[in-house]
Amino acid sequence: MTLRNDPSADPVILAHRIRKHALEMTSRGKSSHIGSVLSMAEILAVLYARILNVDPGAPDDPERDRVILSKGHGGAGIYAVLAERGFFETEKLKDHYQNGSIFSGHVSHKGVPGVDLSTGSLGHGLGVATGMALAAKRAHQDWRAFVVMSDGECDEGSVWEAAMFAGHHRLSNLIAVIDYNKIQSLAPVAETLALEPFADKWRAFGWTVHEVDGHDTAALEGALKTLPDDENRPTVVIAHTTKGKGVSFMENTVLWHYRTAQGDELEAARAELAACDPEVRDA
Amino acid sequence: MVEMVNRPYASAFEKFAAGNPDILCLSADLTSSCEIDGFRDRHPDQFVSLGMAEQNMMSFAGGLGLAGFRPFIHTFGVFMYRRPYDQLMASIAYPRRKVRLMGFLPGVTTPGGMTHQSIEDISVMRSIPNMTILETGDATEVESICEAADTIDGPVWCRVLRGSVPRLFDTPIRVGEMRELADGDDILVVTSGICTEEALRARSALKKAGLSIRHLHLHTIKPFDHGALLDHIGSVRHGVITLENHVTEGGVGSLVAETMADAGVGKRLVRLGLRDTYAHGGSRAYLMRYYGLDALALVRGIEDLVGQSFGIGEDDLDAARVDAVHSLVKAEAL
Repeated sequence: MTLRNDPSADPVILAHRIRKHALEMTSRGKSSHIGSVLSMAEILAVLYARILNVDPGAPDDPERDRVILSKGHGGAGIYAVLAERGFFETEKLKDHYQNGSIFSGHVSHKGVPGVDLSTGSLGHGLGVATGMALAAKRAHQDWRAFVVMSDGECDEGSVWEAAMFAGHHRLSNLIAVIDYNKIQSLAPVAETLALEPFADKWRAFGWTVHEVDGHDTAALEGALKTLPDDENRPTVVIAHTTKGKGVSFMENTVLWHYRTAQGDELEAARAELAACDPEVRDA
Repeated sequence: MVEMVNRPYASAFEKFAAGNPDILCLSADLTSSCEIDGFRDRHPDQFVSLGMAEQNMMSFAGGLGLAGFRPFIHTFGVFMYRRPYDQLMASIAYPRRKVRLMGFLPGVTTPGGMTHQSIEDISVMRSIPNMTILETGDATEVESICEAADTIDGPVWCRVLRGSVPRLFDTPIRVGEMRELADGDDILVVTSGICTEEALRARSALKKAGLSIRHLHLHTIKPFDHGALLDHIGSVRHGVITLENHVTEGGVGSLVAETMADAGVGKRLVRLGLRDTYAHGGSRAYLMRYYGLDALALVRGIEDLVGQSFGIGEDDLDAARVDAVHSLVKAEAL
């Protein structure tokens, strides 16, 4: 999917638009998890602007790359990026988290073009992506299975069962991107259940590991664009990110996993995002 | 005016567990969401954080039980049985460990959608040998569930309400009993959990319509006093209606149906609850209306049971309790 002269094909612009949408969506719906969306804005932007072979005009194309947002609580982010890339109108994002809406807080695939799997119970995405990756190999098809994961969900044993399976079966068409923002729902990761040495764990399970600054779109693109770069190993991109990135008072705070911006906080967040809007800055 | 109690579990659990070295408090990364953050801060020696790792939490609790502890496990109900079911069976239920499973956000009390709503847990737990099942319907029951559960020689599944909870009852849970809230002789209404409050909303409208309602509230679902239920059924003219925050298969409605069938009772039974469906995400009031779990649904069910319309509408029901505006700190909301 390449749309020339489309601002949403610029990952920096797209990431900013994801943040703006997500702020409005979670505030209007009084839903949680804005911090979790802000941390992965560049990851989603680079994937959808530069990496994925997906077509909003044919969201069910059997040749498309598959994407699972395993951190399903970040639903606002995936809905926003899909809307920006033309899978549906951005106007529809106003329905997010409203009673009866298809855009539920946790990702739902029901009626949402571009979403293959409902998520929200953590630790499922990697296993499902593993199944899809093996299916593609069996069918001798070239599409890849991408899964965007949270750091916290790596507490779950199911993640490591899938990781072991993928390494064993050399699923080179499986690419995991971990939004390593260092904070899970109610406490820092390091205080809850330490993941480090994190990269070494993945290597030990037979994976190729890239570690990048998850807010550096060029670095993310560099890590993702040539994949798979080893025909015998699945790949994990550990993206070091900041929870709440882009709004100073939300950054690196546990509070903004669940808190929703209202009133003065909403205005302050809007102002901060507006002040660094790349479409205004570069105009 | 119904008294609303804020976070009754938080203070009740701390009062119950603090200083009792045989009680350990376990959490799977939902500590404040299960109202045990204060306990963690004030009694760190009795608190164990397992991380978001429920399978290990179950086996770990089984090990604690084997070593003589009585662990109280805290997480959302769904995460306590769907993922770690095998561990629950083999490490806890089969060896009959004294593990207390405190499951928060039962049924549609969460807007989180399918992944967060435990809608079939009672059905699952009823079929597990050695399991006891308790469900809270008000603040007093939340306040007394720890003591009640801890009297049981074996695992106990508890549906726990959190946040702002109405006080409907004056007496604590007495395991194995049921509450008789009205003693009429036309219809027997059987409810549990949050649905009891809904049934109470319909009480005056039904009375005005000339119906004599007998109403039972179940806080204990297993073990169950079948004889007492049959006595109540024998006291009503038209039949029985059940209302539960759960799928209609395997829960309270099924329990009543099985009891009637086993005893050869020929009266009509209407079972209200989620009907072979997952629930959407949405507000509790919206979901209860949409899926027919609220006071109005109960009225319509009673009309079906007696074959007569009473013209009761939303305006005739007692006002729904209005939750205090959610704290902006949304740990309470999901």
